[in-house]
Parts: sequence; C-alpha cells; structure tokens
Amino acid sequence: MRRADLVAGVLLLALAGVYLQQSLGIERGFASDRLGPAFFPQLLGATLAVLAGALVVRAVLKRSDPTPLPPARVGLLWAVVGLLVGYAVVMPYVGFLLATPPLLAAVTVALGLRQPLLVVAPALGITLVLYAVFGRLLGVLFPRGPLGGW
Amino acid sequence: MLERFALGAQVAFHPTALLMTLVGVAWGIVGGALPGISGSIAMALLLPLTFGMDPAVALMMLAGVYVGAMYGGSIIAILISTPGTPGAAATVVDGYELHRRGQSGKALGVSLVTGTIGGVVGVFILVGMAVPLSKIALAFGPPEYFALGVFGLALISSFVGRDLVKGLVSALLGLILATIGIDPFAGTPRFAFGNVDLLSGVAAPAGMIGLFAVSEILHQIAEGGDWERIRGRYSTQLPSLREIWSLRVATLIGIVFGTIEGLLPGGGGAIASFIAYNEAKRWSKRPEEFGRGSLEGVAAPETANNVVTATALIPLLTFGIPGSNSAAILLAAMMLHGVQPGPALFDRTPHIVYGLFVGLLVANVMMLVLGYLALRPSIAIVNVRRPLLLSGILGLVLVGAYSINNRMFEVWIVLVTGLVGYAMRRYGYNVLAMVLGLVLGFMVEANLRRSLLISLGDPWVFFTRPISAVLLALALATFVSPILRRVREERRAAHAEGVARPAAG
Repeated sequence: MRRADLVAGVLLLALAGVYLQQSLGIERGFASDRLGPAFFPQLLGATLAVLAGALVVRAVLKRSDPTPLPPARVGLLWAVVGLLVGYAVVMPYVGFLLATPPLLAAVTVALGLRQPLLVVAPALGITLVLYAVFGRLLGVLFPRGPLGGW
Repeated sequence: MLERFALGAQVAFHPTALLMTLVGVAWGIVGGALPGISGSIAMALLLPLTFGMDPAVALMMLAGVYVGAMYGGSIIAILISTPGTPGAAATVVDGYELHRRGQSGKALGVSLVTGTIGGVVGVFILVGMAVPLSKIALAFGPPEYFALGVFGLALISSFVGRDLVKGLVSALLGLILATIGIDPFAGTPRFAFGNVDLLSGVAAPAGMIGLFAVSEILHQIAEGGDWERIRGRYSTQLPSLREIWSLRVATLIGIVFGTIEGLLPGGGGAIASFIAYNEAKRWSKRPEEFGRGSLEGVAAPETANNVVTATALIPLLTFGIPGSNSAAILLAAMMLHGVQPGPALFDRTPHIVYGLFVGLLVANVMMLVLGYLALRPSIAIVNVRRPLLLSGILGLVLVGAYSINNRMFEVWIVLVTGLVGYAMRRYGYNVLAMVLGLVLGFMVEANLRRSLLISLGDPWVFFTRPISAVLLALALATFVSPILRRVREERRAAHAEGVARPAAG
C-alpha cells in the first residue's frame, strides 16, 4: 500500500469531481461552436478521474513510499510556508518596505544563520535593492503602508 | 533575407537592447553559478522584469540569461562538482578533476571558449533550419496547430521517466489550470467562482515562477544541509591558445550532438552533453585522460549544451513547441507580450525573430567577456551562504510575482503553485509536464474548436489534411515509443538478472 499515492489519488478524484460539477454550469457559447466552452474541461476532468482512479488502485496493490523527511525538516518547511503566507496577508496593510525585511530575516534565521549582522544587513539590503529596481526603475506600485510615499 | 538581418542588427544593437542583453547574460552567469539555481529558474525569476519592455528586447534578455547560465552552470560544476544546470552534468567529471589538480582556470577557460564557439555555431544552425521550416509552417491552419499542440503534449512521455500515470496527471493539472478564466473562444467565464481575479485566468509566468522556482526553494529547504564549498587551491591561469586548438575534434563532436538534440524537443542539453562526452572519449587520441582531468572532457559537453541554447529555439520559434524548461519560459514570455510563435512570427514581426538571432550572437560574445571578468568573483558567488541565498531568492520571487499585475493575486498563485510543485517533486510527479499543459492548453483547445467550426463539425478534418495527419501520427509515435523502449529495457534487465544470478552464485 502506498499511502502518498492513495492520498493523492483520492484528492485528485475529488478535484476531478468538483471540476466536472463546475463545468456543468458553464454557459453555452454560440451555435456554430460545436463543442462549446464546456467540452474541453469535461474531457480533461473525465481523464483526470480515470487516471486518479488508476493511481488509487495501483496504490492499494503496490508498496514503498519515498523515505519520509525528518520531522525537523518538515517543521522547517511549514515554518517557511507559514512565514510566506503571513507575509502575503500582512503586506498590503503594512506596506512593502516594512513587511519585507522581517520576512527575509526570519527566513534566514529559520534556515540556520544566527549572526545578527549576517541576518539583518542582507535583509535590509535585498529589500532596498528590490524596491529600487522594481519600485523606482520599473514603476511597480507596491503597497505603501504607514510609511506613505516612501 | 540579408535586409532582415540588417533589421535584426538594428534592433539588437539598440542601446537599450544591448544593455538588457548584458544584464541578462550577467544574471545568467550569476544565476547558473549559484548553487540550486538552474538556468530555467534564473530565467523565470527575471520574467517579471521584462513586462514593460519591447517584446524583442524581452526575448533577447531572456535568451541572454539562457546563454549566460550555461557558463554559470559549468563554473559550479567545475568548482564544487555540482552541475548548476542539467546540461553541465557531464562537465563535472573532468572539470572538477581539473580543479582538484589546481587547474581551475584552465577548465573554466575551456568551458568559456568552447561554449562560445558552440553558442555562435548554434545560432547559424538555428537560422539555417528555422527559416526554411517556418516556410513549411506557412501552410498551417487550425487543424495543424491543434495537431502540433497534441504533438507537444505527447513529448511528455519522453521525459516523465518511469511513472507515466503521474506524468499524465501532471500535464492534466496544467491543462486544467489553463481553463480557468474567460473562455478564449466563446468569451464565457469558466471556473472563476465569481472571483474577479480568477476571471482573468492564471498568468503562465506566475504559474512558472511557482512551479519552477518556489518549488525548488522549498525542496532545498526540506532537503536541508549545507552545500559544498570550494575546496582546494583556485588558480585562474587560463588555457593557452595551443591547448584550445588541440580541442577542435572534441568541440566539433559537441556541435554535432548539440544540434541533434536541439532538433529533438524534450531534452535540454543534458543528453547531448553526455553523448558528446562519450563520443569525444572514443575519438580522442588520449582517451585514458578522460575522468582524470581531460580538457577535451570539458570541451565536448560544454560545446554541446551551448549549441542547444540556440537550436532549442528551432521548434519553439517555428512551431511554438517548447522542448525544455527554458524554452517553455521563453514561450510564456512570448505569450505575455502577445507574440504568437510560428510562421506568422517570421513574416509579420521579422524584427523580433531576427533581432533575437543577432541578439543571441551578441549574448555569446558578452558571455565570453563577462565570463572572463567573472573568473575571480565566481568564488564568492559559488560560496554564498545558503540561508542568505534562499531568502534573497524568495524576496525576488515575491516582488516579481506582485509586479506581474501590481496586485497580490499573483503572489498567492506563486505560493500555491510553489507548494503544489514541491509536493509533485517529492511524490514523483513532473513539474515540466504541468507547465507544458499550462502553456499548450489554450493552443490545443482553441484550435480544436476553430477546426470544427471550419469543417462544420466533421472530426475527420484532422486526418484528411496531410500535415495534420502526419503530425498526429508523429505525436502517437512520440508518445508510444519511449513507453515501448522502457518496457523492453525492463524486460532485458529482468532477463540479464536471471542470467547473471547463477553465474554470480
């Protein structure tokens, strides 16, 4: 039994189900468009369902999962993902310049670099370079936050 | 023809174009030399930067990254025995050996010079083949483009490896992602769940940054550990002209196999460089040196993978079929700038095509100069601390994603596709297959429906038109042959095992 494939197969089956169900609600296009806007998605959804089914059947018959990651690494991975999600939530309110250095510093620390200077200086430097290149040179409009026009 | 090159030169030698190509090549060398950042990731990271640019300049810049990354990849291959790009895997063998013997500069110099030769020759092969091929493609209508898209998807079976089911699932996920948003043909909304952001669809560049770059960063975080640092003495003494002349046979072999692989989509330089390495060994006067620090062992694979930087553009420019990660990113850049690859590209916008041709030549010359200047600083690049590199790349990813449309939506897309991409890598799915689905989905669906509109619903249109029929047959062959080969190999392996076991016992 392959647990990872079984989980993936079930998730993909669910995805195919939702996708097919949603495709039923697609409006019909014009008459000479024989297949219509729903045909291709339904073909994809049905194929995905078949393949996901195959994955489930195979998972039940076969064995061997990939070697599991050490728990510390999994924790690290989720910590970084959590930081990224938190950044994406907070950044529009706090602004680019205030949100980015703490994120970069936190990721650097999480990945094992502890010397304060090596953590803080690059975090500030990278933020400023990105701001200069994208914000100033390329005219990207970053969320400004309380810093206002800066 | 000549006046088109004059036009191309005009575009490529424009100061802005020169500057952007220079930036592209420099970033390519740095990106390729950074541990864990391959050429295609370096390209994906730079993609958002090209938004405001003229399409010709944007493509030149990205092609410059591609060219520069080939040399950057060989820097890290030679100095810490880690291939920076898949194409540099064969370079590791003798390149690292040369570095261990204190001949780092010679190895890097050979890689640089033969790589430049390969890149320049590659451009001429590209022009020689792409222009006539684009004439054939002039006869293409919707059924042919549909067949071509199917052919592109059929390539998946040649690179997904053992697990075809997972490879196909990966491609389907990409195709499904491509159907979100306004239906390109009838204009009806699909799978938007009433969300305004989803209505405009998933921008291919955002999906690619997530699938290629973010998933790789997460993969490296999960793998943990620090990477190798440069050990041993690092000499910057370059090879002599005589030494370089002695590599002519190896270089020629590299050119031959680089050309062949570029024409067969699905590679990316890795296969060509290995074959070139083996052939160079076979034809060498001193085959015993291979594996023990042979300059020829660096020259052959490096020539081959630099030829591929140009020849991989043949299927992309003429037919719109990307054969590798890097070509897929170039295709995304074209779509982003509203440039449709194919015969019309050569006819209607010659300044883009010929600008790119000339720009590639320029990029190769720039690589030679910048690569020489980078000989000393490359130590600092290769030895960068991993936490700093990964957090810096994350910063670049987030900013790049945001700048695609000046909004957070693409940042979320990048994060979600990054997580999905990481899970796919970990459990044996294929990220490139998903990207191929994402970029080819529209081409397949729109041309399928357009064909049936023309044929008044007759599905035989795909088989009665000769080019379309041939392409579909080729697609079938392309899809089936790797599967058959794998089955045969497994059978032979099982057989060999059965024979070997009693003998060993």
